[in-house]
Amino acid sequence: MAAAVDQSNHQLTYLDVDRTAQRVMAPAGLKYWLWVAFCAFLVAVGGAFWTRQIYEGLGVTGYGQPTLWAVYITDFVFWVGIAHSGTLISAVLFLFRTRWRTAVYRCAETMTVFAVLTAGLFPIVHLGRPWFFYWLCPYPNERYLQPDFRSPLTWDFFAISTYLTTSTLFLSMGLIPDIANQRDISTGWRKKFYTVLACGWQGTDRQWRNFSMAYLLLAGFATPLVLSVHSVVSWDFATMQTPGMHSTIFAPYFVAGAIFSGCAMVLTLIIPMRKMLHIEDLVTIWHLDSLAKVILLTSLVITYSYSTETFLVWYTQDPIEMMTFHQRFFGLQGYLFGGMVLCNCLIPLLLFSPSIRTNTIWLFIISIFVNIGMWLERFVLIAGSLSTATIPTQWKFYVPKITEVMITIASFGWFLMNFSLFTKFLPIVSMTELKEGVGWLRKSARNTYPYRKAA
Amino acid sequence: MSGDIEVVGVFSSDVECAHAIEQLHRTPIRGFHTFAPFPSEHMAEATDEVRGWGRSPVRKFVLAGGITGAITALVMTVGTSWEWNINTGGRPIASITPYIVIIFEMMILFGVLGAVTSFFVKSGLPSFESSTGYRTRFGADRFGLVVKVAESDGGKIEALMRDAGAEEVVREAA
Repeated sequence: MAAAVDQSNHQLTYLDVDRTAQRVMAPAGLKYWLWVAFCAFLVAVGGAFWTRQIYEGLGVTGYGQPTLWAVYITDFVFWVGIAHSGTLISAVLFLFRTRWRTAVYRCAETMTVFAVLTAGLFPIVHLGRPWFFYWLCPYPNERYLQPDFRSPLTWDFFAISTYLTTSTLFLSMGLIPDIANQRDISTGWRKKFYTVLACGWQGTDRQWRNFSMAYLLLAGFATPLVLSVHSVVSWDFATMQTPGMHSTIFAPYFVAGAIFSGCAMVLTLIIPMRKMLHIEDLVTIWHLDSLAKVILLTSLVITYSYSTETFLVWYTQDPIEMMTFHQRFFGLQGYLFGGMVLCNCLIPLLLFSPSIRTNTIWLFIISIFVNIGMWLERFVLIAGSLSTATIPTQWKFYVPKITEVMITIASFGWFLMNFSLFTKFLPIVSMTELKEGVGWLRKSARNTYPYRKAA
Repeated sequence: MSGDIEVVGVFSSDVECAHAIEQLHRTPIRGFHTFAPFPSEHMAEATDEVRGWGRSPVRKFVLAGGITGAITALVMTVGTSWEWNINTGGRPIASITPYIVIIFEMMILFGVLGAVTSFFVKSGLPSFESSTGYRTRFGADRFGLVVKVAESDGGKIEALMRDAGAEEVVREAA
């Protein structure tokens, strides 16, 4: 490896950071483009199914009374949740000056932006007449409909659009110094491309002074925003009278779940990425270990939330709630609940073991289970609760059809395609912050050694 | 009287560059600027000391943006509710409690827009003219100090930079 850092000396230099980041952005090979083409193929297949759904109507899905919110809303909540850890790692940990974030935060932030973009598609896919998607926006209109600012769905519009704007600006602003660095060393069309994106950045004292203040304040804004957005998403459900959803603990429970699933998705992305792009010297086992500890902590919070939710149902002795939960645990979809508990509560307990936390294969496998578990959680909560709503004669278990399945798979293709393209054209690790914390990076390299030995 | 020149010092460490900036107090400089590959606290402190800068004005724009966003949201939600004036289930026409969510989100949105806009404006971006003394190494692994000074005082500045640990000192036309 041309620019591999000699970790035995622990003498990581500023140029090492640059060389590694530049190597990641070097022109891609055939395997990379085949991967991108595969993702694009998934998007095309999903697009074809969506076209059919638009043409024939929502009857091609498994939707029907009483389950009119199902996979698409599950996907929406799942992708919004995935987005949250990016903001946690980039903004919240920035405010706490947590050094291990420097190597992984750009990846997490990028994931945030593409996850919110993916999530934003699902309320439109969910519509029977998607060409009227702009009716979701609260605006004075010729139909004399009042924009109902008391509705959680209207709150959602404001929360998600603010979140997308903030996370995109946060990512873009942090990229400027790194893009300027690329501008200075690139040639050809890349130089022109980076020259435009760098906006003339040169790292002068005046620029850094304003940059640091603006970045700090953006982080300060993003921190309460990340808590509010998933709380607002949870209120889409919690303010309904539907048994299984009408709960006051949803806001903190959803926020913890979002951080849990998002950190797992960061691991799912970064473990293969650091191997394929040869950035093990920047994203070390120490960073992965730190992420795994966050996953473990949030898993315990999730387990506590499940227990509290169940306890409150038992404690109130509300017969309808009791029946809904009985169906959730032991009904026809009980195996989904079992899978969710296995993936979200039991498997992450393995992370108590330091040897598992420092083993990339184990971490990758656990992160996949967590992703599956968190998707199941949202599905059980939404489709499961609606299918066993108040009147038993109306109960009907929802089974997704091929349309929902393919559109869900396409959303992963869409997300991974955008993420993969980003890695080759823009810096996926923050060179600026890594240089700022180069001493800490040396420490992480030192920490890596006993871990590697143990692994 | 001799004309102005610029003395460009290249440093391998931000601490050395900060030391050179601190020494500028005792010299007849006409102006200076620095370059760094990352926001160095040492250099920022030294620069603030010499220039007497306070905190970045970006924060005032952020405050203004946040207040504007909150007021805009309040006017929008309460105003449209009164404009439509539909009684739903005897609830207040304008329910402030649920509107707080929208007020909060718009306060953040406008504050963020204020932060980014003021960052660009106050940093002189976008700009496609290179600052004097800029070298591509300043974006990678070196720190730069560019001092504008009368030609007759150039020697003092060069000596100051060398004493502070500059790897390279170059004299350029201003």
